[in-house]
Amino acid sequence: MATERGSANDGAMRTTIEAAFTAQVDELTSSPPFRRLESGEASAKEYDRFIANLIRTHARSPQLVAFLYALAPPDAREDVLHNLLEELGIEDESGEPHPEMLKDLAASAGLYGVLPELERLATEDLRAIASQPLLYATLKEVGLAALCEVVAFEYMLSRVASRIEAALETHRGLPPQALRWFHHHSEVDIAHAEQGLRHIDDYVRYYGLAEAEAQGIIELTLQENVFVRRYFAQVSPTTPSAT
Amino acid sequence: MKLAAATVYAVDIPFTETFTHSAQVRRACDSVVVRVVNEEGVAGFGEGAPRPYVTGETPDSVLKHLVGDVWPSLAGTELPNPVEDGLAAFDAVIPETTVAGVIAPNAARCALELATLDCALRSTGASVALLIPARRSTLTYGGVITAGDDEAAARRASQMRSVGLDHVKLKVGTGNDVERVRAVREALGPDVSLRLDANGGWDLEQALTVLNAVAPFGIDVVEQPLPRHALADLKALRQECAVPVMADESLVTLEDAEMLLSAEAVDMFNIRVSKCGGLFRSTEMVRLAAQAGVGVQVGSQVGETAILSAAGRHLAAWAPELAFVEGSYGTLLLAEDVSVEPVRFGHRGRASVLTGPGLGIEVVEERLRRYAKRVVELLAEKTRP
Repeated sequence: MATERGSANDGAMRTTIEAAFTAQVDELTSSPPFRRLESGEASAKEYDRFIANLIRTHARSPQLVAFLYALAPPDAREDVLHNLLEELGIEDESGEPHPEMLKDLAASAGLYGVLPELERLATEDLRAIASQPLLYATLKEVGLAALCEVVAFEYMLSRVASRIEAALETHRGLPPQALRWFHHHSEVDIAHAEQGLRHIDDYVRYYGLAEAEAQGIIELTLQENVFVRRYFAQVSPTTPSAT
Repeated sequence: MKLAAATVYAVDIPFTETFTHSAQVRRACDSVVVRVVNEEGVAGFGEGAPRPYVTGETPDSVLKHLVGDVWPSLAGTELPNPVEDGLAAFDAVIPETTVAGVIAPNAARCALELATLDCALRSTGASVALLIPARRSTLTYGGVITAGDDEAAARRASQMRSVGLDHVKLKVGTGNDVERVRAVREALGPDVSLRLDANGGWDLEQALTVLNAVAPFGIDVVEQPLPRHALADLKALRQECAVPVMADESLVTLEDAEMLLSAEAVDMFNIRVSKCGGLFRSTEMVRLAAQAGVGVQVGSQVGETAILSAAGRHLAAWAPELAFVEGSYGTLLLAEDVSVEPVRFGHRGRASVLTGPGLGIEVVEERLRRYAKRVVELLAEKTRP
């Protein structure tokens, strides 16, 4: 159970981060491809590409949360471990690993044939992250950037997942059972997003990052809209490769 | 070993953010990538980045030129032996061509030169460094701040400072340049080298006014302050202004280089592999610059993939004197890059030289296919006259 912590400065940084997250969520939901998904104007191929990109984005979430767990400050460690176990289906009320829910989504959407390719790409994405030369001097800065991106997704999903779920049910004809990944990350998960914002404060304080330094890292992480990039900018396959 | 086949990809890889300067707004990589295969099945990759405002080429014109004009005379050609024939032979094997309305079809030439070079070197297991040996083991890349409002420019400058970049280039020529430079200099602090790039957006009077006003902020060099053909004005600017002048859009061909040098119009060259027609012609420009005591920046094409970044890195590692190096932004700008191992620079802009076979990267062709707008397959037998 997290307790109230923080100083005036933490509050200022939290406000800045939350404003940045909100702006990114607004940008996502007002982006033409998202509006097309919601309104039903998107083609079947666009829905499939969105689903494929989403699966690729989140298929390796447990690994990313495990990385955050390794770097978590003592005050946040228990919460992050709980999140990790939830991702793995161990402490989740459904008892189901979240990547398994994504597999069901793929199967229901007729993308099961391309699932191995999406999982391979997700693994390749992780490998690319690990292989990139580090932009920062130490792992503590890298960890803050990773934490910021993960919390940004939690924040966005807690506000948008149910809208996506409804759009896929209404316009793509997917059954609720296939869309349970969205339910698990929707408004019912708003506590995770709140917790994530606290964890950023904890992290910055624990590692002694100066406020300006932390702000710079967070701004650089959020300079692009990570949601638009992952869900719409990258091109994931929707049909099995011919070769 | 003969060239057996080629595949030409016109790609469209989205940027993570829009990149703007006085001559262009760019939202995606629209390079043309060429894959050639020799008789043994060894493949090589090259890339050209067509820029209408630089060489006059477009992705469509490059594709059409490669497929219709160049490939028919190149298909089935015996590739040079890199060890025996050297880099010049790879330039010589590509026919000299012209395209109406194009200053020089250099992006097309570059894509083919790099692809044939990569292919020939891979078939022997050798690196480009065999032909242009590295003089340094590590390179220090700089950042570029796109055009946009001053607040955003200053914010971006702070971010670049947070990752330790020592060199920053600021796009100017789109608004109140003096305030823009002031804001960025304040955000960078005094120790970071700051350059300006007007992309030919000023006339002589504007350039003198702005540069004299911003000189106290510590400007190392101004890139392409005037339009491409304003040679006399470039010389006048150089004589009347304290800020050194660099040629970019004015420097496309070797003839341009000779003219700029004989007119003593600039202090530095910005040499970009695609703009200058490939690695060989780029090395020739570096040599001309060195002989004349003119400084060299190895530049990049905004949104280039790992292929051009790798070529630029080899050139920069080899250049006898190197003032600045740009590029290798990889996924800082592209939604996805095309190589297995990223070529992006790291903390403080540092990146190691590439030592693997050919250009030193492994291209993932499946990614090219996913991001291709057009793919043209070419076979030697079918295209030979």
